[in-house]
Amino acid sequence: MEIPYIVEPRKDTGLNNSKIAIWLFLASEVMLFGGLFSGYVFLRIYADYPWPERTLPVLPGLINTFVLIGSSITVVFAWVALKLREWRKFQIYMSITLICAALFMVLKGVEYNAKFGHQAIRLDDYTVIEGHAYPQEEGGDKKITKNLNIQAEQIQIDLKRVDDKYYETMGAQYGEHFVLAEDLTLNSKTKYEKGTAISKELIDAAKKDFIDALANNSNVNIAVARQASKDAGNQPELDGKRYYDKDRKDFIAKRTKELKAEQEDNYQNITPALTFIAKEGAVDISVNPRWGKLSNPKEGEKGTLKLKDETLISGTTADSSITMRVDGIDFRHTVMKAVEKGIDPEAAINNSWLLKDQSMKLIWDKHLVFVDKLQNYLDEHDKEPTDLDLYRITWQEIAGLMDKDIEDLEKMDHHEIAALFPGDIEGFAGANHTRVHYPKINVPREQVRFEAVFSPRWNTYYATYFTITGLHGLHVIGGAIVLGYYLFFGRKMYDANPEWLANRVEVGGLFWHFVDLVWIFLFPILYLM
Amino acid sequence: MSDHHDDHHDHHNPGFIQKYIFSTDHKMIGIQYGITALLFLLFGFYLMMVMRWSIAYPTEPLPAWMSWLFTEDWKAQWLSEGKLPGETYNMFGAMHGTIMVFLGIVPLGFGAFGNYVTPLQIGAPDMAFPKLNMMSYWIYLLGGLMMCGSFFLESGAAKSGWTNYPPLSFFADSQYPHQFWTGQTQWLIGLVLLITSSLLGSVNFITTIINLRAKGLTWMRLPFLVWAMLVTAFLLLLAFPPLEVAGIMQVVDRMFGSSFFQPSGLYHQQIGLSDASGGGSPLLYQHLFWFLGHPEVYVLLLPAIACVAEIIPVNTRRPIWGYKSMVYGVLVLGFLSFIVWAHHMYMTGMGPAVSAFFQTTTTLISIPSVILLTCLLISLWGGSIKFTPPMLWACAFLPMFGIGGLTGLPLAFNLVDLHLHDTYYVIGHFHYVVAPGILFGFFAGIHHWFPKLTGRYMSRTLNHLHFWPSLILMNTLFFPMLIQGMAGFHRRWYNGGDAYLTADPDSVNVFGKTVAEYIDLNIMMSWSAWLLCAAQIPFVINLFGSIKFGRKTNSDNPWNACSLEWATPTPPGHGNFIEEPVAYRGSYEYARPEVEEDFYPQWKKPVTDENKED
Repeated sequence: MEIPYIVEPRKDTGLNNSKIAIWLFLASEVMLFGGLFSGYVFLRIYADYPWPERTLPVLPGLINTFVLIGSSITVVFAWVALKLREWRKFQIYMSITLICAALFMVLKGVEYNAKFGHQAIRLDDYTVIEGHAYPQEEGGDKKITKNLNIQAEQIQIDLKRVDDKYYETMGAQYGEHFVLAEDLTLNSKTKYEKGTAISKELIDAAKKDFIDALANNSNVNIAVARQASKDAGNQPELDGKRYYDKDRKDFIAKRTKELKAEQEDNYQNITPALTFIAKEGAVDISVNPRWGKLSNPKEGEKGTLKLKDETLISGTTADSSITMRVDGIDFRHTVMKAVEKGIDPEAAINNSWLLKDQSMKLIWDKHLVFVDKLQNYLDEHDKEPTDLDLYRITWQEIAGLMDKDIEDLEKMDHHEIAALFPGDIEGFAGANHTRVHYPKINVPREQVRFEAVFSPRWNTYYATYFTITGLHGLHVIGGAIVLGYYLFFGRKMYDANPEWLANRVEVGGLFWHFVDLVWIFLFPILYLM
Repeated sequence: MSDHHDDHHDHHNPGFIQKYIFSTDHKMIGIQYGITALLFLLFGFYLMMVMRWSIAYPTEPLPAWMSWLFTEDWKAQWLSEGKLPGETYNMFGAMHGTIMVFLGIVPLGFGAFGNYVTPLQIGAPDMAFPKLNMMSYWIYLLGGLMMCGSFFLESGAAKSGWTNYPPLSFFADSQYPHQFWTGQTQWLIGLVLLITSSLLGSVNFITTIINLRAKGLTWMRLPFLVWAMLVTAFLLLLAFPPLEVAGIMQVVDRMFGSSFFQPSGLYHQQIGLSDASGGGSPLLYQHLFWFLGHPEVYVLLLPAIACVAEIIPVNTRRPIWGYKSMVYGVLVLGFLSFIVWAHHMYMTGMGPAVSAFFQTTTTLISIPSVILLTCLLISLWGGSIKFTPPMLWACAFLPMFGIGGLTGLPLAFNLVDLHLHDTYYVIGHFHYVVAPGILFGFFAGIHHWFPKLTGRYMSRTLNHLHFWPSLILMNTLFFPMLIQGMAGFHRRWYNGGDAYLTADPDSVNVFGKTVAEYIDLNIMMSWSAWLLCAAQIPFVINLFGSIKFGRKTNSDNPWNACSLEWATPTPPGHGNFIEEPVAYRGSYEYARPEVEEDFYPQWKKPVTDENKED
């Protein structure tokens, strides 16, 4: 028997196999994206920080919406062409569908790329500033702009946890500058004298020795414990006593001690960590902020830098500040915290660290003028400005009002000021830093409560955005691969049985419609709400 | 069988690899699922035996027969003077749960029995999508190996319970630089793979059942097993995606530093203030997890109860009692299982209104479960019961599952749950359901369909050596858990309560005295567990030995059963049926007056004057 209903439908269900399968698959996809959307709702409702609203550039999203809708139409045309047995037309429409898919992904890539280059910092007083981070020193490597820096005097390496990648990256900085603080004798009798320079071989040898010693001692200990337990069993006065009985416990403790003493020669030395000191003066060491933590971020003070692999670098904290060009300021979180504590929000903003900077203060003053005019305008329409209007300064506002005098602004009305803001094309995927030189600010590390680029790390909104759009993007790619397969390798199927290919394209098209539908939900939820 | 007029000759003479390894035949895939799942079950059992040592004898080093599997380095890192430290116990506990549920029981029930039996019972040549079927198996295997392989990573395997609740799971292994190569992350990725495998499988099953039924096999003529598989597949299809979402979100949390499940201001004693944005919700994870977690219970149960429902009519020689109520019961059960999930979360502070809702639906769901069990029980009434090996297991299933189910009722009420939550009572309850319940059902199924696979019976003697010790030991293992649980023993004590003991009779440590009263049960339970392992040896010998040395069957239908799988040659070849089967009647037509024998197979043409010449 062969599997029936591959192409022709079964009479009583009216469906062929793949048609049923795709609807079932879509049902599970609905649950998948349903889960993500409910996650979004849950996170947004219970968010304990001001939810970022309308922070994404609308234009690319809007274009993408139409691109996907268009491709959904052409995929139907392609199917119709197959039904009418017009191969050429099928090729054309399917190609358009695939081009749309590619265009969608390219636009998505442009958006993603802009996000990954966009730095955000939550300051200690919960002020949020956004912008582009700059190298700490002009001409420096762009990647290390946010690094944690320390003038290291001593490095302690944990042999159990030391990580090759970390060590190799840092090794270039340690160079020959660090030497063993004390003599080291391994159990294999290899000797490293005090003053031996730090090296991969040394650490590897010590690590191997450490693990071997650990395994050896563990074996001895297990044997000792088993012997002690056995001896306790042979003790007539302990007969029938359970393991938690005090006499038995005491006996075992005593016996273990004795046995361990007997085994003394079989134990090996355990050196869990190696200490290296700087040979001549402190050495600058620069570390990716994801790799470790500064115990004292204040420049010029003593502190340690602890890496995730337990490597402990001690010395004097060096300049670890983040320099950035600011294209967005958000006081909503500050206000939220102030309200929680019963402080006047205006006072909290005025006392914030950020406004101690003159250029930032100027931006804020201009914003106050803008809000004032907006207030007047909204009063006429019996409306209230939202928190977003009051406490968030967008890149459009900074770019538009940067070069204007505050006196001039005061003379304008709301519409005139708003007209100064650049349009959507200007910042297609967000603030454009090549055209506009946004004001620069230097944020010392101790003022930084939390920093990230606009990645999933920055907040739950971006986490949701990247996860949903990322999964959606994978669906687009998957769908495009399947449809592309029919386009480029479908001819054989078509020649064998054109209805077969038409069925498959119908099924692929159903999936494509679903992918489109998900985006139609995504766009308003993520971009507009 | 070989059909020489077939176009696809290559299917009929496939090479070794194509036939036994990368097979697209549902029967071979079913067997692959079965063997893999049994191996995973064995490994999960082993982990549990080690854990039980730590519970029974927390101050004694592991005996050599338990620690032989560990390498020297592993012992150095994960044992402390030969004893199981809490962290290792947690790792074993988490992996025991995961392996048993996701890698053992689900693949055994749905993957093995579902794959092997369902297409045969509906008279189909294969699953609707054989290649997809093969892919399901391989993705499952990959996911399983990823999870178990993580034992050898520096971080060890996952160690935050089989539920993997954040923020506990977030901090676990979070200090490792390469997040991908940590047990926690591997667990999550393995889970996502397992879910993907189940989703592909469930699409395949439902399509097969809807579209590939034989001529005349209308819905109400389907064997109950097919209905159960259909409902199971729908549960997997609709309940698993939210967990897949939760898994993906946790992976993003771990690898890209997001805070889906990390609340603001999260602090860890050793790691300090978490370097995450915060603003997430651990409760969200629990909702997503249990949205799967509860239907999952029925994914485990339904295939087992289906096996029993197939075996009881065959061995009582009378139709199953209340077939229709069982079918509607299982459909209602499937639906209700989607709206009971938060009864796992009474202690999270969801609020009384939510708790009251879930308490109501939870008590409601006991109705269809009781219908199923009652129908099976009444089916025994007045039958001429033959205690064949499968029937022994099926008969034991009924009371064992009954205990498991009924001990669940108190937990449905959130007031009672306040006391019993996270105690050994819960462990006892669901182990009664899964081990002597579901697993017994599967043992029954293995004995029942083994003759179809091989043309030989499994040994009765060895089965007695397997069955009776298992039955007794399962009870001496799990019943004390209910008692300990009511006394307040917490399910995650790695030393069995040793830390709570007090030597001083005048101590104010009242709980310590309660613990002292019940702590000795630990030893009985642990010995039961280890002996239970020994009791499985006859089964292993039986399973593999009978392939070669079992008593031969004398027909394709050795049990004189009625459903379509017995109409195939033994073992069924590629394409299953020699000629297209037609179903003329329901699948439980025993003791019918029209025919001389006491069974009237589905595929037998009706005895009428018209077709007497047949």
